[in-house]
Amino acid sequence: MKRALAILCLVALVGAGAAFGQAQGVFMGTAIRSLENPYHAVWARGGQAFADSVGGVHVIQTCEGSSEKQLNDIKALVAKAGKDAVFCIDPNESPNIIPIAKALEAAGVYYVSWWNKPENVKAWDYPHWVAHVAFDGISAGEFAANVLFKKMGGKGKVVAIKGMLANSIAIDRYKGLENILAKNPGIKLVASDTAEWDRTKAFEKMKSFLVANPDVGGVWAANDNMALGALEALRAADLAGKVLVTGCDGISEMLDAIAAGEAAATVLNDSFWQGGMGLALALAAKTGKIDLKKTPKEKRQYFARAVEVSQDNVKEVIATYVKGTPKYDWNDLYAFYVRAMP
Amino acid sequence: MGQVLALAFVLLLFGLGTRGFFLSPKNLSTILSLAGIPLIICLAIHQVVLIGAMDLSTEGIISLCAVVAGFLIRNPFNALDLGFWTVPLVLALGAAAGSLNGLLNTKVRMPSFISTLGMWWVAQGVAVILGRGNAVKMLDPRFQPFTNGEVAGIPITMLLALGLGALLLVLQRSTRLGKFMYAIGGDEALARQAGIRVDRVKVLVFTLTGAIYGLAAILLISRLASSNPRAGNGLLFPAMTAVAVGGVSLSGGIGGAVNAVFGTLIVTALNNGMVLMKISPYVQNAVNGIVLIAAVALTLNRKKLGIIK
Repeated sequence: MKRALAILCLVALVGAGAAFGQAQGVFMGTAIRSLENPYHAVWARGGQAFADSVGGVHVIQTCEGSSEKQLNDIKALVAKAGKDAVFCIDPNESPNIIPIAKALEAAGVYYVSWWNKPENVKAWDYPHWVAHVAFDGISAGEFAANVLFKKMGGKGKVVAIKGMLANSIAIDRYKGLENILAKNPGIKLVASDTAEWDRTKAFEKMKSFLVANPDVGGVWAANDNMALGALEALRAADLAGKVLVTGCDGISEMLDAIAAGEAAATVLNDSFWQGGMGLALALAAKTGKIDLKKTPKEKRQYFARAVEVSQDNVKEVIATYVKGTPKYDWNDLYAFYVRAMP
Repeated sequence: MGQVLALAFVLLLFGLGTRGFFLSPKNLSTILSLAGIPLIICLAIHQVVLIGAMDLSTEGIISLCAVVAGFLIRNPFNALDLGFWTVPLVLALGAAAGSLNGLLNTKVRMPSFISTLGMWWVAQGVAVILGRGNAVKMLDPRFQPFTNGEVAGIPITMLLALGLGALLLVLQRSTRLGKFMYAIGGDEALARQAGIRVDRVKVLVFTLTGAIYGLAAILLISRLASSNPRAGNGLLFPAMTAVAVGGVSLSGGIGGAVNAVFGTLIVTALNNGMVLMKISPYVQNAVNGIVLIAAVALTLNRKKLGIIK
């Protein structure tokens, strides 16, 4: 009995706290994986910046890798806010967008999604799905490979470190590498394995690669975290700076490595812009600034421009994106549009 | 010693599979350098398993210690620059988290697998809050060369791990605490009746384990010269596999530091061999899982488990 009372008190306290915490304005949900990685941490800051600029209430929902939690968190915010909400969503896994879309359509809430969705699901079939946007993985993989192979003089051995295996962005980036390999007969891919986006795993895989291929000339990694792990393995073998690595994502340590001449290239996926623009698009649809019925299909699913970074432009990129916060015009909704997503 | 046979089998298998390349001195040295930190973590966990408890908080506590260490060593985010004084501080932090595990188990009387599961997420959460998702670069140039260094061809991390193993072996074989640990692992009720202060021993073991996590965290971040709140991710599974493969019974009371050494070497050699043989990463994960299940099936003492849950 005592225990039941204690639990009741606790629930009442939490409830009261939540009631007092009620704020005014449109609820702006940012549903992302976690705040543990710099990429999503910057994403959340972008969302906050946009919410502050229009006086909305920013709610960050991290799913920590659980699709179930992501759906439940979104439903909970909708239950609380009703139609007074918009969402910017990075689906945990691509099929997860379907139940999320159903829940949000039922509530009449506008939303924008990023990166992952099943190919046969089309945003224009859903009246509240404002847009699905991604940075192009194939061209990112191609850019990094091109820069790396040029630095190697068009010949030599490379190893590849892939991302999470079933992940569509990991597959796209690797496809980009394969495209450029086909155009460079002098370059031989001698080993490729996954390190699941993880730095420590990439370090360990690279150590094993180096034993089998001590004469490797370059390392292509599907993201910066793994590229940096591989770089430390190269450092331990006294090869840092002699064997260049490439990555993708544009995290600040990688930019430093490029500036230091130890890495060749990365592609900066501007997650600050993603976090802000996702909410901006959704809010524009909610307030009637854009009419989805008249929006052409190519604006409902598209690839956006990412920032390609090599040793040539790394100093400017650091000055703009790391030291400063780039200024965005949140009203220019399709400023980074590149091409339609089929 | 089944473990020696298992290690010999793995070495032979991959030796043949890679036409002897796997057994080259260079690759054996690589295996040793890859096994150092996992061995330290395995040594930490096996102590808890020995007393019949379980510790799942490994990744959380290591991540927490890594983030705190990152901010204590010279870094771009604050003015602190404690150098090697960071080591005792972080060991103490790990020990504190570990002792909390022990107190939850003994004083609050929670099953250790659930209290440590909770502790995993608490520590992980605090790590994220403190680190705010940033990777913290290590600007003190002394740590990385030390961790990646070698003495007489043997990687320093491995020497540290073997030193720690020897220390724990002495503790287990020649001290009263060691005897108490085996008594508790064998039959806790009996140990209590014999007048052993079970709770105190358990808290002590959990504390020691936590301190070793702190050591592992410092080595992990100095190896990469960078700390982040994900530093501990993915470390529990291989360490737990190594505990089981090495022959430390998950029901407690059987095995010791030597088993942990063999277990870690087997697991590390297995994974290195699979990479060298270019076995598909999908298959690699499955193989690790099969090895864990098989090892537990062979080492579990079912007489002690009345009901299997």
